[in-house]
Amino acid sequence: MKLDYRSVPYRILENGLRLGGILVFSVFVSSGDGMDILQTGTFLLFGLLLVGSWEAAYVRNYEYRLDADTFDIYSGVFSRREREIPFERIQNVDIAQNVIQRALGIAELRLETAGGGDGSEASLRYVSRQEATRLQELISRRKSGETAERDPGATDDILFELDNRELGILGVTSANVRLLGLLSGLFLIASPIAAEQVSPRLEILLVLGPALAVAALVALWMLSGVQAVLRYYGFRLLRHDEELRYKRGLLQQYDGTIPLSKIQTLMIRENLLARAVGYGSLAIETAGYAPGQDSNVEAAVPIAKRDRVFELARTIEDIGEPEFTRPPKRARLRYVARYTIVVGVITGLLGGYQYLTGNLSFWYAGAALWLLVPPAAHLKWVNIGYYTDDNYVITRSGFWTRRTTIVPYYRVQTVSSSQTVFQRRRDLATLVVDTATSGSFWGGDAVALDIDVETADRLREEIHDEFHESIIERKRQRDGRKPAGPRRPSSAED
Amino acid sequence: MTDGGDVPGRSNDTTEPPNERADGGASDTADQFRRVDDQSPPDLAEPRPSTIQTPRSGLDEETLKEYTTERRSLDSTVQIQWALRTTISAIILGLIASAILAALDVDPVFGTIAVGLFLFLGVVWVMLRYRVWVYQIRDDSVYLERGVVTNVRTIVPYVRVQHVDTSRGPVERALGLSTLVVYTAGSRGADVSIPGLKPEEARDLQQRLKKLAIEAEGDDAL
Repeated sequence: MKLDYRSVPYRILENGLRLGGILVFSVFVSSGDGMDILQTGTFLLFGLLLVGSWEAAYVRNYEYRLDADTFDIYSGVFSRREREIPFERIQNVDIAQNVIQRALGIAELRLETAGGGDGSEASLRYVSRQEATRLQELISRRKSGETAERDPGATDDILFELDNRELGILGVTSANVRLLGLLSGLFLIASPIAAEQVSPRLEILLVLGPALAVAALVALWMLSGVQAVLRYYGFRLLRHDEELRYKRGLLQQYDGTIPLSKIQTLMIRENLLARAVGYGSLAIETAGYAPGQDSNVEAAVPIAKRDRVFELARTIEDIGEPEFTRPPKRARLRYVARYTIVVGVITGLLGGYQYLTGNLSFWYAGAALWLLVPPAAHLKWVNIGYYTDDNYVITRSGFWTRRTTIVPYYRVQTVSSSQTVFQRRRDLATLVVDTATSGSFWGGDAVALDIDVETADRLREEIHDEFHESIIERKRQRDGRKPAGPRRPSSAED
Repeated sequence: MTDGGDVPGRSNDTTEPPNERADGGASDTADQFRRVDDQSPPDLAEPRPSTIQTPRSGLDEETLKEYTTERRSLDSTVQIQWALRTTISAIILGLIASAILAALDVDPVFGTIAVGLFLFLGVVWVMLRYRVWVYQIRDDSVYLERGVVTNVRTIVPYVRVQHVDTSRGPVERALGLSTLVVYTAGSRGADVSIPGLKPEEARDLQQRLKKLAIEAEGDDAL
């Protein structure tokens, strides 16, 4: 099958704008040579023609086919590429549509597999909206090994729907709290200093500085709020056979699938603002998305009451009521020591500045920051915890944004415990349970920070044992009632 | 150093009496690997009790025993490889320090002292790193211990091994060393490597891991 013919004008627009920009720029740059309107026009027309024929050729040469077990793509104008993606390896099937694409009735279909590399494994740009939905449906049928059409009477269970109130709360709480906190702290400290630097006489700057800072913060906050609202407008999470489906977005609409069998980890995130009003979000991580992709963590529930988030998490993974074990109290001392060093460095820098320039007479006031250290250390400590049961290892950490990571044992890739020199002094260690998630900065790895070193060593071995038990159990379940055992007579053949 | 073509069979490398320990590079038969003194917690070094309810590998116990290893340390030659690296970075760091000191009008002697200090630290680091490095092929996983500043102990279950490489850089080739790289689909420690192996040892381990990974019971992770 071919791409939709309407994608040609859109693609021309998409790439033509880019090319046009370059052309206009180059014309401006070289305008000194007396290039007249006619020449410029010819140039632009020529460029447009080039882009147009290229895009038409691209769309004409792009072909996809649904085989018995693979999705095949034949593409390329000069260098041809044939790609076969086995259905069972496809992790996510997403449909994206922005405003212009909606007006044209076309959509982008993206297929993600666990394989590495940047970007999607396949992205059909563009097919008609109906075709995108049809393909999404077909792929999910083929993936579960069914060839029959879906019973048209079957309905989807709505697991979650974002209402206006929640959308409002999402807008308010979606700001990056850590950034906001840091910025406001910085402004509060820096602006009086800066004011004094600029002109000590102008007392008004003392007021104006913080006022400007507050205005900037509010603007930033509103911007991120609007962004979040646009992004998650009309969010709905459905259960569609063995898949989760979500739809979201006002201007750019997304329609994504998450196969239940491909879920790696769950992550519950509650930032400071959301926590204050008892809300949180739930993210589902699969191995599909490449690191750094814009939506590499799929929010299954962008915002909901904390209880509701846990309830939804429990419908996906049967985690019960986790009771977190906190790290030993000496870990808190470690944070006191760490933050004291930070305060010391800041004060030292201020002192050095005074030494070099001589106009920071109250540099030692930086030491007053130390008053924040004990509460900061306590807040960090109080939000850390881990929990293990027969099926899951759950870890939690973070004050600005508290992340609770839920890892089923059968998703474990590697288990490691590590000890830095500072941890060794206090017999502490960090346990990292690695999973095959996207590997974004905050990753889906369960990290138990600063637990007792013996506990860490014990947990490392225990989780590894539980992992083996769980995969054998899963295999047994899948093979029916066949008892687990050696797959074949164990003769060591070479 | 013989880069012998005789790949040792999985014969008597674990059935040897424990007191037979190779001393440095004196013996170059690959069967005699160095064992690590039992200074570590014994409960981790001991093989897992064989009363596991469900077999984790398709291999029988006898074969497993041949494939698994004690806690082993790396070949001591690897210290030369690391030392070369630290020397180069110490000299670069020292030159930078000297340049800064020169810019600040300080006696250039301090620059030389800085280089010396970095070199000393580098040598200490190399020796510690060598002493800390331990690997073990267990019956269900690869176990690694490494790191001076941050000591990391990792378990990589065979079920999760995607593929196993051996690689040899120019310095490694000159020193007769090889690195074994084990890949998993994980995000963080996606690849774990064991440096400082004799080429034949690396190849032997690669073969064993291949076998163990194939025979490991379980589904793929994704």
